[in-house]
Amino acid sequence: MASLLQPDKVVYLVRGEKQIRAPLSQLYFCRYCSELRSLECVSHEVDSHYCPSCLENMPSAEAKLKKNRCANCFDCPCCMHTLSTRATNIPAPLPDDPTKTAMKKAYYLACGFCRWTSRDVGMADKSVASGGWQEPENPYTQRINKLIEYYQQLAHREKQERDRKKLARRRQCMPLAFSQHTIHVVEKYGLGTRLQRQRPGAPISSLAGLSLKEGDDQKEISIEPAQALDEVEPLPEDCYSRPISLPEVTTLRQRLLQPDFQPAGASQLHPRHKHLLMKRSLRCRKCEHNLSKPEFNPTSIKFKIQLVAVSYIPEVRIMSIPNLRHLKESQVLLTLTNPVENITHVTLSASNEEDPDDINSTAEVILPNKELALAGKDAAAEYDELAEPQDFQDDPDVVAFRKSNKIGFFIKVIPQKEEDSDVTVSFKIRHDFRNLTAPIRPSEESSEAAVEAVWLTHHVELRLGPLAP
Amino acid sequence: MPLFDGLGSGGEKTAIVIDLGAAYTKCGFAGETGPRFIIPSEIRKPGQQQPVKVVQYNINTEELYAILKEFIHILYFRHLLVNPRDRRVVIIESILCPTHFRETLTKVFFKQFEVPSVLFASSHLMAIMTLGINSALVMDCGHTETLVLPVYECTPILPAWEALPLGGKAIHKELDGLLVELCTVDTDTSSGQSIPAIIGTIPEETVEDIKVRTCFVSDFQRGLKIQEAKFNLDGTAERPAPPPDVDYPLDGEKILHVKGSIRDSVMEIMFEQDNEEKSIASLILDALVKCPIDSRKVLSENLVVIGGTAMMPGFLHRLLAEIRLLVEKPKYSMLASKSFRIHAPPAKPNCTAWLGGAIFGALQDILGSRSVSRDYYNQTGRIPDWCCLSSPPPESLYEAGKTPPLMKRAFSTEK
Repeated sequence: MASLLQPDKVVYLVRGEKQIRAPLSQLYFCRYCSELRSLECVSHEVDSHYCPSCLENMPSAEAKLKKNRCANCFDCPCCMHTLSTRATNIPAPLPDDPTKTAMKKAYYLACGFCRWTSRDVGMADKSVASGGWQEPENPYTQRINKLIEYYQQLAHREKQERDRKKLARRRQCMPLAFSQHTIHVVEKYGLGTRLQRQRPGAPISSLAGLSLKEGDDQKEISIEPAQALDEVEPLPEDCYSRPISLPEVTTLRQRLLQPDFQPAGASQLHPRHKHLLMKRSLRCRKCEHNLSKPEFNPTSIKFKIQLVAVSYIPEVRIMSIPNLRHLKESQVLLTLTNPVENITHVTLSASNEEDPDDINSTAEVILPNKELALAGKDAAAEYDELAEPQDFQDDPDVVAFRKSNKIGFFIKVIPQKEEDSDVTVSFKIRHDFRNLTAPIRPSEESSEAAVEAVWLTHHVELRLGPLAP
Repeated sequence: MPLFDGLGSGGEKTAIVIDLGAAYTKCGFAGETGPRFIIPSEIRKPGQQQPVKVVQYNINTEELYAILKEFIHILYFRHLLVNPRDRRVVIIESILCPTHFRETLTKVFFKQFEVPSVLFASSHLMAIMTLGINSALVMDCGHTETLVLPVYECTPILPAWEALPLGGKAIHKELDGLLVELCTVDTDTSSGQSIPAIIGTIPEETVEDIKVRTCFVSDFQRGLKIQEAKFNLDGTAERPAPPPDVDYPLDGEKILHVKGSIRDSVMEIMFEQDNEEKSIASLILDALVKCPIDSRKVLSENLVVIGGTAMMPGFLHRLLAEIRLLVEKPKYSMLASKSFRIHAPPAKPNCTAWLGGAIFGALQDILGSRSVSRDYYNQTGRIPDWCCLSSPPPESLYEAGKTPPLMKRAFSTEK
C-alpha cells in the first residue's frame, strides 16, 4: 500500500515522446516492446459503453444511434440526480360507461432529491412503467437538414471540379493509364457498374460525356436563404415592474444541460436520458498491442488484459531513512520486490556524470556493487512459515534481510546540497526479464530463444525528504 | 452494425465539432442540430479549489499543452465517448486567436490524440452557413470581447474587423463591483451586512448566475435615461423606477438582496459610448464604413449576432435601436443605406457558430481537402495560419481519390 499512499517518493523514468517520471504503480509495461509506458504515451480508446445508473451494457452502434444516452434512465433537469419512476392510482372513466370511474395505474417520473416530478412541467402520466418518455425535438431540425443537403450539393460540385482538374492534368502526362481512370470517372458521376460491364470497350470520352450529362440532369437542391427581420421582439412591458421568483427561472447550468433549447423558465425543463459512460482500453503507440483492456461487463472491475508495471518490474521502496546531514554518509534501507515467478538478477549502478536523465539528484549515492538475486514470487510461500528459505549466500553488509520474493538492502547517501529541498538520489536499476508470456514466434526461432532473458535498465529516483535539522 | 455507418456518411465517420470558447466549450458531432454538451472551458486539478481556465493566452506553451491535453481528453472520453483516431476534427476559432494557442491546440490533437485531420474554421464564417446566405455582417459577442467581421460572398472582409473588449467578462466585473457596492446580505443571525464582511468575494459562477437569472437589457429610451442619471452627478436627471429587488440565496442561510437598479443598468456598459465614442453598436457601423461601398447595403440588411452574451433578454432589440440612432449621426453620413435587418439563426446564439461548423463538418466531399491532415502536419510540423501566404495549401498533399489518411480502422472498437 505504501506505493499507493506515498506515490511520489520513488519514481521511474519513462522515455516516451516526453520524459515522464511517475511512480511504478501508475505505469504500464509493454511486454512486446519491453519498455515502460505511462498514461501520457499510450493511446486511449473507447472500449464499451454502459449506463452508470442501470449498469446496462450498450453496444457501440446502438449507443451511437441513441446519442450516447441510456434508453431507460433519466436525469432530473433541475438537480441532475437520477429520476425514479413512481406509480400511482388515478381515477379514469370506464370506456363502456363514462359515468363510472375506476382506479387506473399511472406512472410518472420523480426526483428523490429535489422533488421535481414530470407532472410539474405538464408531462402526461404514462400507463406503462417503462415509459416511452419522449424528449422534445429541436424545432429547427428540418431546416438544418435542408441546409446540410444544400451545402452537400455544393461540396459535391466542388469535389467534381477538383477531380476533373486532376484528371485533365493526369491525362496529359500519362496518356496510357486509361483503365483506372475510366472506373474512377464512372464511380464519381453516379453511373453504376452496369454500364461499365455492358460496354467494356467503350472509349473513355463517350463515357465521361454521358455521365456528365446525367450528372447535370440531377435535381438541383435549392434553399430559401433566411430572411432577415426588420424588428426584434422587445422585452415584455411588465418586465420592468413584475417581481421575479427565482425558483421559476432556470440557472445557467440547467440551461446548458439542454443545449438545443436552453429554456429560461423552469416549467420548460424536460428530463433527459442519462448520458452513458465508457470503459477505456489502452494501447501501446509503438507496437499497437493492448496494454489494458477491461472486461465487457460493466459490473465487472476485472480486466482481460492489464499489463501494469508492478507485475513485471522489480519495485524499489524506501523502508527507513536515517537523519540525513549535509556531506555526511548515512545508510538508507530500501527494499526490492520481485513480481515475477522466476529468480530475477538485479544490479544497481549510479548515474554517470553526463547522464541526461539525471537532472534532479542532489546527493551522491554509493550502491552495492554485487548483483542482487531476488527469489521468485510464490503466492503460497506467504502462508508457509516452515518453508526453507532458499540459500543465496548474501553479504550481510549489503542485504539486510530476505523474505520470500523481497530483499532489504542498504545504500549509502551523501547529501551534496545544503538547501531546504528534498534530498533526491537517482540510480539505474538493471535486471533480467524473461518474457514467458510473449507469443512464441513461428519460423526459425526455437522456443528456448523466445524465453531468452532480456536485460532492462530503468532510471529510478528516490525522494528521501529534507535534511535533518 | 455497419448499416448505420453507411447511411449518409459515405463510410467515413462523422467529424467532431468543437467550439472552444473562452467561457464555455460547445462540442458535438457534425450533421447534428445542436451540440451534445456545453461545458465550462476549465479543468479541475486535484487539491486545487479554483478550476484552471483552458483558454489562456499569456501562458507558456508547455503548461498550455498540459491543460489542453487534459481538457480534450475529458471531451473525448467523458462527453463524446468516441475514439479520437477515427474522426476528423472541426475547430471553431476566432480570427483573433493567437498563433501560439492554435499551434499548441493542433499539436495536442495530432500528437496526443492522433486525429486524422484538423480544420480551423472562423466562427464568423461558420455562422452564415446556418442561414443559407452568402453575405452578412456578423457580430460575435462572447466572453472576452465583441468582434465584428463582415463576410461578403463567403469571404471575410478582414480589413474591416472591429472589436471591443466588451463581453461576458466585462459585465461580470461591472456586476461584481455593483453588487459589492450596493447590495447587502442577510444571514440567520444578522441582516443588512455588507458583502465583503460576510463572504469576502462573490465567486464568478455566482455572479454569472445572477446575471443570467435576474438582469436584462433595458429598451432604448429607458437605457438612455439610466445612463443620463448615472453620469449626471448633480442629481437633476431622474432615473426611471427600478425593477423590483430580488432575493438571491447564496447558500442555505445567506441571502443576497440584489437591487433592482442593478438588474436593469448593468448591461448599459455595452452601450455606453466611451471616450472614442465606441460602443458595441458603433462597432457595426464602423465596420460598415470600412467595407467596400457596394457591399454595404447587403451587409447592413443581413446582420447576424452570435455569442452567449447576445442571449441576454432584450439585447437584440436594444442593439438594433442603438444602431438606428447612431447611423443618423454626421459621422456616419457616408452610409447611404439606413436600413438594418437582423437574422434569426436556427440555433441559440451561443451555439450558432457551432451549428455552422456542424453543417460544414457534414460535407464529407470537401472536409478532407479543406482540412490539414496528420501527414501534412507531421511533414511540416506546423499549421498554416489563415493569413499565411507562404505555405502551400494542405490539399496539395492530399489525394482526393484516396481513402482519408491514417484511419486505423483495424483497431477501432467502434463498429
